[in-house]
Amino acid sequence: MRTLVRPAQYAALALYIVFLGFPLLWLISASVKSSAELNSLTVSLIPQAWHWENYAQSLARQGLVHSAWNSLVVALASTALVILIALPAAYVLARLKGKIRAAGVGWILVSQVFPVILVILPLFLILRTIGLTDSLVGLTLVHTTYTLPFALWMLQGYVAAIPLDLEEAGSMDGATRFTVLRRIVVPLLAPGVVATAMFSFVSSWNEFFFALVLLQSPENYTLPITLTMFIGGEGKVALGPLAAGSVLAAIPSIVFFSIMQKKLTGGLLSGAVKG
Amino acid sequence: MKTRGASIAACLTITTLLVASCGAGSGDDDGPVTLTFQSLSDQPAAIEATESIVAEWNEDHPDVQVEIVPTGWDGVYDKLITQFNGGAAPDIVHYEAASIVPFAVDGYLADLSEYMPDEKKADIPEGILDSVTVDDQIIAYPTELQSYMVFANKTQLEDAGVEVPTGDTMSWDELREIAQATTTGGTYGLGWGLASPTATFMSMAPGFGGTYFEGTGADASLTVGEGEMALPELVNTMAYEDETILPVTMTQSGSETLASFYAGDVAMTVQGSYQAANIAKDAPEGFDWVVLPPLAGPDGAEQAANPQTLSVNIDSEHVEESAEFIDFFTDTDNLAALNEADALIPATTSAQEEMTASLGDENGWSTILSSGQYLTSAPYLFVDAYAQWKDTVATPAYQKFLAQETDADQLATELENGWDEITK
Repeated sequence: MRTLVRPAQYAALALYIVFLGFPLLWLISASVKSSAELNSLTVSLIPQAWHWENYAQSLARQGLVHSAWNSLVVALASTALVILIALPAAYVLARLKGKIRAAGVGWILVSQVFPVILVILPLFLILRTIGLTDSLVGLTLVHTTYTLPFALWMLQGYVAAIPLDLEEAGSMDGATRFTVLRRIVVPLLAPGVVATAMFSFVSSWNEFFFALVLLQSPENYTLPITLTMFIGGEGKVALGPLAAGSVLAAIPSIVFFSIMQKKLTGGLLSGAVKG
Repeated sequence: MKTRGASIAACLTITTLLVASCGAGSGDDDGPVTLTFQSLSDQPAAIEATESIVAEWNEDHPDVQVEIVPTGWDGVYDKLITQFNGGAAPDIVHYEAASIVPFAVDGYLADLSEYMPDEKKADIPEGILDSVTVDDQIIAYPTELQSYMVFANKTQLEDAGVEVPTGDTMSWDELREIAQATTTGGTYGLGWGLASPTATFMSMAPGFGGTYFEGTGADASLTVGEGEMALPELVNTMAYEDETILPVTMTQSGSETLASFYAGDVAMTVQGSYQAANIAKDAPEGFDWVVLPPLAGPDGAEQAANPQTLSVNIDSEHVEESAEFIDFFTDTDNLAALNEADALIPATTSAQEEMTASLGDENGWSTILSSGQYLTSAPYLFVDAYAQWKDTVATPAYQKFLAQETDADQLATELENGWDEITK
């Protein structure tokens, strides 16, 4: 019986990977199919003929590369801002006791219940007053604000998981509060920071609605806005170029994840409990 | 080490924000008037046609330059609401009649009646002009339209001994007979993408005398009678009594149904007229297809028109210049070029004639263009709660009816009660 456990585990894992990877494979397949093949009843993962023109059309149209650059700038900036703000705030939230903590946690939870459509108009008016509509700076601030509560919630969970005894042990060994934070808390928080950074980056990279409403000039458009232009009125969709554009759009996220994943596992291994 | 990491993060933030700010916005300089034209053109050929028309205008009008702001259809309603409320709407707004009317009712659009030349008014069929007229004010220039047409596999019709109809119009009875004649074995006579049936039923109801709504704005009332129920009941009969509609297509979109048409699983399909361009592009080699004459009910071949539109922001500092540009944009040649690129029907008679003359019957163009004469205004365009009723009441109710979960009486009751609940 035990000999069957390991193969069953691998089979389950393989199924899970297929489940997760199939949409991406299908997207890649659609990106190299002709319009005629995409509109036929013959369903196949392998294209009948490789139609690379979709990529050429996708790149030639609507400034895809420029909007990808805009998305990258906004995603990196908002991720950095979120981490810079959330890291100390999460520590305070996790370690602080009393009413301020309760109020902080309450604010985080309440902020999650407002639908985007409800806040967009006041947000637009505020940003307009300070001259930040149609601006990547304005969008960065909005993405930061929008992502921050959940990032804070994530990080404070990681901080709470660090035993207070470790900090007290550091203090007893003569370390200052700052040294304890720098040498003990921050290294142990690395996996949490990486996970939060991944969340922030992907949230900003994929964000559509704020960008749609706030950005007016094509030179400021981010990638999700540009990709929707492949979807037309009257139900018209340029499916092949849209799939090709989506594949290209996924590349930075995949690269970012593969870089950060090493840090994620590395951080976990370099924990404080060394024996 | 960690301090250096924090510094890098801080530098990264500052640098990216600086880079971001470099690419953001642009100030207005002294010089020629610049009009912003928020365009929803999505097909590469239509984008090219739009850019060409604007370039020609800009060359001829150095003092009034037009800047295209391309935008997608997805989410544009929310974008416009925010833009208008926030005082940041473009000068010229591209949209569609059914969606732009509420903005006119709320006072966001300029009255273009005095700017539209009489020749242009005469060139736009009355029903289409009515679709962009709110409280006796012309709130937009109509540009492009679609109608619902029947596309047929000529070979399958001929093999079934059916003579391909060629008259000015074709009756629904004729369609039903052809569907019966071409339904054999695994092949069905008709494929009809009715996943979102409301727009189709509303658009084709005028042919049966169906109007659905009376009155406008918040005072509109809904009546579902014989004229409104005729088409849903006909579809039901064809699907379940005649068994001439391929069942799966009734759960698909129009575009998805085309795959069954190409595969020969259905001999005919009802589609938006613009699909002619896609069929020409995507159909298998040797696929012999034809566009059948416009469908006519007991009250004629009329279909509700929901044209794409060009409007002017009432807060624009250059309403007159914007209207002049739109008038230029909708010149016969320009409108014909744009509609040919988009595979749609021009809103002016002269542009329809020009396209008919230049394109002939290639890809069914002459038949499709002839359907333009039957496009007319529809009351639903001017009803405040229509969009909400359509999404929350009508579409689910029609879907249940088409799935035979409810009968005709229950459908009518659901449609009317749903309306009452929304508007009470």
